[in-house]
Amino acid sequence: MSEEQTVTIEVDGRELKAQAGAMLIDVTDAAGINIPRFCYHKKLSVAANCRMCLVEVAKVPKPLPACATPVADGMKVYTRSPLALAAQKGTMEFLLINHPLDCPICDQGGECELQDVALGYGSDVSRYVEGKRVVKDKDIGPLVATDLTRCIHCTRCVRFGAEIAGVRELGATGRGEHMTIGTYIEKSVDSELSGNIIDVCPVGSLTSKPFRFQARAWELTQFDGIAPHDSVGSNIHLHVRRNEVMRVHPKENEAVNECWISDRDRFSYVGLQSDERLTAPMIKRKGGWTEVDWPEALDETARVLKQLHGDQVGALASPASTLEELHLLQALMAGLGSNHVETRLRQNDFRGKAPSFPWLGRPIAELETVDAALLIGSNVRKEQPLLGHRLRKAALEGAQISYINPFEIDLNYAADQMVDTPFGMLADVAGVAKALGATGGLIDSAKVDETHQAVADQLKQATKASILLGNIAAAHPDYAILCGLAEKIAQASGATLGFLPQAANSVGAQLLTGKGNNAAEMLANPCKSYVLVGLEPAYDFWNPAQASAALKAADSVIALTSFRSPSLEQTATVMLPMAAFTETSGTFVNAEGIWQSFSGIVRPAGEARPGWKILRVLGNLLDLPGFEQESSEEVLAEIRENLADKKPDNSLGDELPAQQLSQTSGLQRIGDVPIYAVDPLVRRSMPLQQTHDAIAAAVYINANEAGKAGLSEGDRVSVKQDGHQATLGIIIDSNIPDGAVRIPAGVAGSETLAGQFGQVTLEKA
Amino acid sequence: MANEVCLRNMDLDRPWLLEQYKSRGGYQMLTKILTEKTPPDTIIEEVKKSGLRGRGGAGFPTGLKWSFISRNAPGQKFVVCNSDEGEPGTFKDRDILRYNPHQLIEGMIIAGYAIGATLGYNYIRGEFWEPYERFEHALEEARAAGYLGENLLGSGFDFELHSHLGGGAYICGEETALLESIEGKKGQPRYKPPFPAHFGLYGRPTIINNTESLASIPVILEKGGEWFKDLGVENSGGSKLFSISGNINKPGVYEIPMGTPFAELLEMAGGMKDGRPCKAVIPGGSSAPVIPGDMMLDLTMDYDAIAKAGSMLGSGAVIVMDDSNCMVKILERMSYFYYEESCGQCTPCREGTGWLYRVVHRIENGQGRWEDLELLEDVTKKIAGRTICALGDAAAMPVQGMLKHFRDEFEYHIEHKRCMVGA
Amino acid sequence: MRAMRDYIKSLFLLELMKGFGVTGRYLFKKKFTVQYPEEKAPVSPRFRGLHAQRRYPNGEERCIACKLCEAVCPALAITIEAEPREDGSRRTTRYDIDLFKCIYCGYCQESCPVDAIVETRVYEYHFENREDSIMTKDNLLAIGDKYEAQIAADIAAQAKYR
Repeated sequence: MSEEQTVTIEVDGRELKAQAGAMLIDVTDAAGINIPRFCYHKKLSVAANCRMCLVEVAKVPKPLPACATPVADGMKVYTRSPLALAAQKGTMEFLLINHPLDCPICDQGGECELQDVALGYGSDVSRYVEGKRVVKDKDIGPLVATDLTRCIHCTRCVRFGAEIAGVRELGATGRGEHMTIGTYIEKSVDSELSGNIIDVCPVGSLTSKPFRFQARAWELTQFDGIAPHDSVGSNIHLHVRRNEVMRVHPKENEAVNECWISDRDRFSYVGLQSDERLTAPMIKRKGGWTEVDWPEALDETARVLKQLHGDQVGALASPASTLEELHLLQALMAGLGSNHVETRLRQNDFRGKAPSFPWLGRPIAELETVDAALLIGSNVRKEQPLLGHRLRKAALEGAQISYINPFEIDLNYAADQMVDTPFGMLADVAGVAKALGATGGLIDSAKVDETHQAVADQLKQATKASILLGNIAAAHPDYAILCGLAEKIAQASGATLGFLPQAANSVGAQLLTGKGNNAAEMLANPCKSYVLVGLEPAYDFWNPAQASAALKAADSVIALTSFRSPSLEQTATVMLPMAAFTETSGTFVNAEGIWQSFSGIVRPAGEARPGWKILRVLGNLLDLPGFEQESSEEVLAEIRENLADKKPDNSLGDELPAQQLSQTSGLQRIGDVPIYAVDPLVRRSMPLQQTHDAIAAAVYINANEAGKAGLSEGDRVSVKQDGHQATLGIIIDSNIPDGAVRIPAGVAGSETLAGQFGQVTLEKA
Repeated sequence: MANEVCLRNMDLDRPWLLEQYKSRGGYQMLTKILTEKTPPDTIIEEVKKSGLRGRGGAGFPTGLKWSFISRNAPGQKFVVCNSDEGEPGTFKDRDILRYNPHQLIEGMIIAGYAIGATLGYNYIRGEFWEPYERFEHALEEARAAGYLGENLLGSGFDFELHSHLGGGAYICGEETALLESIEGKKGQPRYKPPFPAHFGLYGRPTIINNTESLASIPVILEKGGEWFKDLGVENSGGSKLFSISGNINKPGVYEIPMGTPFAELLEMAGGMKDGRPCKAVIPGGSSAPVIPGDMMLDLTMDYDAIAKAGSMLGSGAVIVMDDSNCMVKILERMSYFYYEESCGQCTPCREGTGWLYRVVHRIENGQGRWEDLELLEDVTKKIAGRTICALGDAAAMPVQGMLKHFRDEFEYHIEHKRCMVGA
Repeated sequence: MRAMRDYIKSLFLLELMKGFGVTGRYLFKKKFTVQYPEEKAPVSPRFRGLHAQRRYPNGEERCIACKLCEAVCPALAITIEAEPREDGSRRTTRYDIDLFKCIYCGYCQESCPVDAIVETRVYEYHFENREDSIMTKDNLLAIGDKYEAQIAADIAAQAKYR
């Protein structure tokens, strides 16, 4: 910083200090001097096209745009001089001549930048008497509604697409007055960050489709929250009206989500109003479900639990459960003499020692400053969209990002992708390790090719490098080996080992749970009874077929859930309605290890109650000690006390499992979880389910493999895996390597199959 | 005194051919520079000395522009020639491309040598199909003769030149929009600064000059900057191509020294058609304010004289109008042009040009109101000087000029709802 | 002097006599008491009575669900819910006015950009059940349809003063 010069400028008679070369508008913004603007956005490049921020600079005859004028020492600026005001008012008049003045029917009315600025700079009478421009609206997908007649051509959305989302989906076509924003050809805007164009649009040209005409800005009460769908822990504003979450906006936090949020975090709220919300406790009696009141349901649950002890009972919880819920669940199980509490439901290989506090390895904000990164088994762009965005920023600054994945992922920057079957991935990772001079196990027998060497060199030369293990890796049948190899690479290259945790509280869950039998063990040797928290058996397990079978075989399954779902109704014996993330207080630990607490902002749906309260009352009914908390804050205080000395730590055990579990022969399934299939709430958000990214269960196979099996696009095939069967359509996809098929998990259609990875056979149906 | 620089080979049979160009000493200057390894600074000094000002319209001194490029900066630098001659009334560069393409090529190679660029582009207006083909042919000839490519004439200096046919947008004649267009983007001007000399084509240092400016270089270097300067008058060195059109007998391109009286130019162009009086003249392309005919006949054709009269020499496109023209109709046509050609990027120009056109259109069609004249003036004031590029000014100036000199015709239109001319 | 005058005034009950004089005058004048409900007092076109929702002549409801009336209502008597209609236009799905809350200030009418919600001259209405006090969108539109001619005439008469 010392090299950068500080200059002194004078704005409206006020002396301001600024860094030389900073744009004038940044300096005035920091000083709280308001200059009207439309096209300027602090996170986007300067376009200087709206001409609203024109100000007078002494000794310059023409007014200059504050957004594109660098400050210089001794500069005198007048933001409200007659010249500046005339320029600003002139621009306002021009903007309004072709802008419809029907604010009452515009969804942006009341929170519109143009409306606000027009109040200060507009005239009350229009001198323009000719007809106004009308532009036909375009359908750009289920998330964003367009009202292109209202567009003021600031191009913020275009720049957002090109610079932040990394996909040039929107652009301006036509000249002059005929210039319109559009998608060139008729298509939807499919970026996983597309919702942010709603926020950057200063007028009502791009608005939220699910929110369209539902409420006015002044009716909404804003509350803070934490997004529950990925490990970024994006800070959000929840806008509530009459006890209903109407929409979600980002809350600025440079360290976490900057000023963006992913579409998943923005539109998942629609699922809160799903018809499938469980609104009253239910007990299965004689094969049918009966609604009961809370005392009855709790008594019944306590009666069941009292008869159990030790290994007879196990708890499986969603990794998006709050710390408080998991702490009390753990305590409840401990009270019953069992320590089987598990949240790693999408993992199958539990060999090797799990890290005590697995995290990203570095702060989220630092991810954009890495020089090189190797991602193993990760589709980070879809799994943790904002971490993907940070990596993209790094890549644009010249960082070398490489991927080792079982299928080629769609990226919005240049990166090396090594694509191989699940088994082949191990060889690739080992190859990179060998190229770095590491030894042991698989590495010794690995072959090093040019790509391995290149990636190894990049990692070694980089001053800041990360090795990151993603969600696909976590589901890999040889996850333990991948972890071990990744650690070797990190050690040999001086890079930092990190994990891209799957869910909002995956990191927090690891701190509290996983001391007893792991998920695989619990399902392989069925318990007599299970407690499920926030799960759908058909979609939330690595092996849904096995999970359903184990749950069906159990005597009793107590499910704390926000939603009824067919798979839960088939397997559970008691369903207790649990509050959703907006209705309960709690704490998530994000990928960086930051503890972020939030409070309940709407009343739970129907009779639902916060999960921690249900668990606490169950503890009381079972006369267990340690269930005297009055509030979730008290629970949190206990947790903090217990975990006071926990520091983020990614170190693994030394021993590397020698035996490889992934098969080498036959077609291998790759069962990744698509972006909008990660948890029960997202699966119930209709707008998200209508997007392109919400892919349905199908067999993605490359043309070569399809040809060998005599299959073509659109064919229906019977897929067999481990004695389980599903009938799915064929989609030819050149991103899939030979020897593998991609059959997404977590979506309807593939829930009857076995593990996310494993051998499958295809047969024409 | 005419046709000394860019059109000096017009008397030849097919001056666009390499052998004919060489027969008049073509490429000798380049050969001399390459073999003698003339220091680039000497070339730039000579161009500065010549007083050559950008012939595209803005009149920025060419030598000064070249000296802004830091020659020793690492990486690629570019020479770009602006042949996107789209201003109504201008057609001088077309004749250079058609009749003297090799002189332009030679000029561009020398420019490349002077600033240390090895790659050049000539952006040719989309409608110039024939000139484009001729220029392409000239490029092929030059390549075959070793004037383009690697290691020119064994000197170790590389220079490659490509032509790029535009898509037909007037705005791409603006230098930064032209660069965007070459890059394959939508032709929209960039905000300046940074100027192309620092951040030009593909973000690299770039000089961008008009066809006529670049084509003048070989002659300037051959005969010396002083000689060129002395052709013209103080502050307007050299000779210049004037494309004269309108109600005259011999419209066309004439190369005359700067400072020649307009009356003389008019005479060269065969005088007024049917002997009618000269009512008005637009001296520098459609974006220059109009000057009444009697006033114009006393002026000389150089930057200062025209500026003093309240207009611009611009690109030297002289549009002459006799008394059969309705100025409201003419302004309507011109305003429509700017309305159509505004790129739509920045607000005042996008919205203002349409507004200007609609008001003038209304007046022309007998629906004008008295407050419209004031409105027109106010709107032009709100456009001029507040846009990213000069198109806003270009759209505003003709309106201001017309209202200044021919307000009575507009008032007549508003009052009588019909045209004064022929009334 | 002054005390003297006051003494005489009170002695002869002059003030009282003056009062009786006024009473006496009115006693024999023509009566202007209105025999409601047989007779009715004239009503101003600005009268703020029962609410109504209007339609355009083509039958299209005027209300565009801008919610300005809901926002401006000082008594919080208006409740609106909206969503896109099938044709994509912005319409209310619920428009309730609680007449027990309403203070008949007329702000809703003032704020309405499309003259949809109006207060009519109607002041004779009653409820038989408590819940009837909530005027629904259908009620309001029905009232509007019934009195449209009067409403339109009143608005036209007032137009130049607004």
